Amino acid sequence: MAKKILLIEDEEIMLNLLQRKLTQENYEVLIARDGQEGLEVMEKELPDLVLLDIIMPKKGGFEVMEEMGKIPKLKNIPVIIVSNSGQPVELDRARKLGAKDWLIKTEFDPQEVIDKVVKQIGK
Amino acid sequence: MNKKSDMNSGKRKNNKKERVTPKEFSEKKLNFTKITEGKKERTEEEELKQARNALLNILEDTEEARKIAVEERNKTLTIIQNFADGILVFDEKNNLELINPLAEEFLGVKKEEIIQKNISELSETPKFKHLIKLLDSFPEGKAIKSIFREELPLRENLFLEITTLPLIMESNLKGTLTILHNVTREKNIEKMKTEFVSISAHQLRTPLSAVKWTIRMILDGDVGEISNEQRDLLQKTYLSNERMINLINDLLNVTRIEEGKLLYEPKLAQLEDIVWSVAGNFKQEIKRKKIDFKFKKPSQALPKVKVDQEKIKLAVENLIDNAIRYTFPKGKVEISFRCPDKVIEFKVKDSGVGIPKDKQERIFTKFFRGPNVIRMETEGTGLGLYTTKNIIEAHKGKIWFESEEGKGTTFYFALPTEE
Repeated sequence: MAKKILLIEDEEIMLNLLQRKLTQENYEVLIARDGQEGLEVMEKELPDLVLLDIIMPKKGGFEVMEEMGKIPKLKNIPVIIVSNSGQPVELDRARKLGAKDWLIKTEFDPQEVIDKVVKQIGK
Repeated sequence: MNKKSDMNSGKRKNNKKERVTPKEFSEKKLNFTKITEGKKERTEEEELKQARNALLNILEDTEEARKIAVEERNKTLTIIQNFADGILVFDEKNNLELINPLAEEFLGVKKEEIIQKNISELSETPKFKHLIKLLDSFPEGKAIKSIFREELPLRENLFLEITTLPLIMESNLKGTLTILHNVTREKNIEKMKTEFVSISAHQLRTPLSAVKWTIRMILDGDVGEISNEQRDLLQKTYLSNERMINLINDLLNVTRIEEGKLLYEPKLAQLEDIVWSVAGNFKQEIKRKKIDFKFKKPSQALPKVKVDQEKIKLAVENLIDNAIRYTFPKGKVEISFRCPDKVIEFKVKDSGVGIPKDKQERIFTKFFRGPNVIRMETEGTGLGLYTTKNIIEAHKGKIWFESEEGKGTTFYFALPTEE
């Protein structure tokens, strides 16, 4: 059975590109366009991995991670941050909240996102 | 005194009173001895009268001089009281001798409560603490020998530039003068400018990453086959986009420098290892330009330095990149290290185009690029060396260079070792 990846991203084009790329790699892709929706989908679907943006409407990525930490069944889902920014302070905060990895969109190619996903949960 | 009153009397010839100067007085006295006995009584009386007049004149002159002095003093005090900067004067024993209303306002203190108090006592009052701490941080303790200037964020929305200078009279130190200049407005403008650049840079990154990922996926064949011609064009577009991303990153680094947020948690590291890994990124370019590249690894491990690795990498990268970029094919680039007293010195020497002599002093200026390198490579922001210098200085290091146009450039930096 294909592994489930939840993509939480507010920017339509990035959402499209990543969804396409991940589907090609035979993952099942779920999408959410803000943090709030992301948490709802997460509770219902219990994905194998979450790709999480930081700056989003309603609820940002950090808040999503904080709430995940409080919910036992979500606590152990691996999270990879995919953000436009990547200042050391932000990286530190994400690490403390349990993020597995961090990607700065302008520094990485979509293929490298896939590589990091594979590293976490396999194909 | 006599001389002065003489002069003053001379100046006031129109004075209605009869005036006799001490000089005239003594001359007249000589004459009196020749006067006959019969007239003696009368002359003595006149003599006294004249003496009295002379004395009165002297007193009057003194009073006049005193009035002038008081007036001058009041004038000076009024100027100090109404001065557009805050002023504090400490005497030679470091007691607060004078404080003007603006300084009271800046520091949030009342003159009556603090005047004549010693600096050590004042350093314990909360409102004075920051200022005194700053004044105390002079290189040679409390003995202030020359002008000292520092910025002090006193409270929310009050930023002062503190200038302190010794008051020297006839080569004796009479105390110190401290001037508090309000630079809040300038600071706010600077902050707004930095925030503007920072926000726009972040905003620009979003569409740039969308473009990057789209092109990449097309190039990777993720959305179907493309012709060679399409591939060629897209590859060039991808590179242009990368350039834009680099430019934005440079701008973001500059804003971090200006926000004073440049360094992040410095850790102990081996400089030669950092440089080695950075140099590795240039392999392809070195090969392409057939550059004779030497990395002189130190024979034994250098002492460690405490650095923000990412930033030092960036600084080293900028220097090596410049060396390779501005050296013609088949030229030479050499990296070496030295370890003199308590510092580690990094050196990158190239046989490149060099920096024209008249442009050398501007080389670390933001957005500056030498005219000879602009002709050579149009691409470049002029932010590299500015950023590099700031990174090195944030590590309490030093950066310098030697260069001759047409022959080459050598850049050095030195970082203090962790001892």
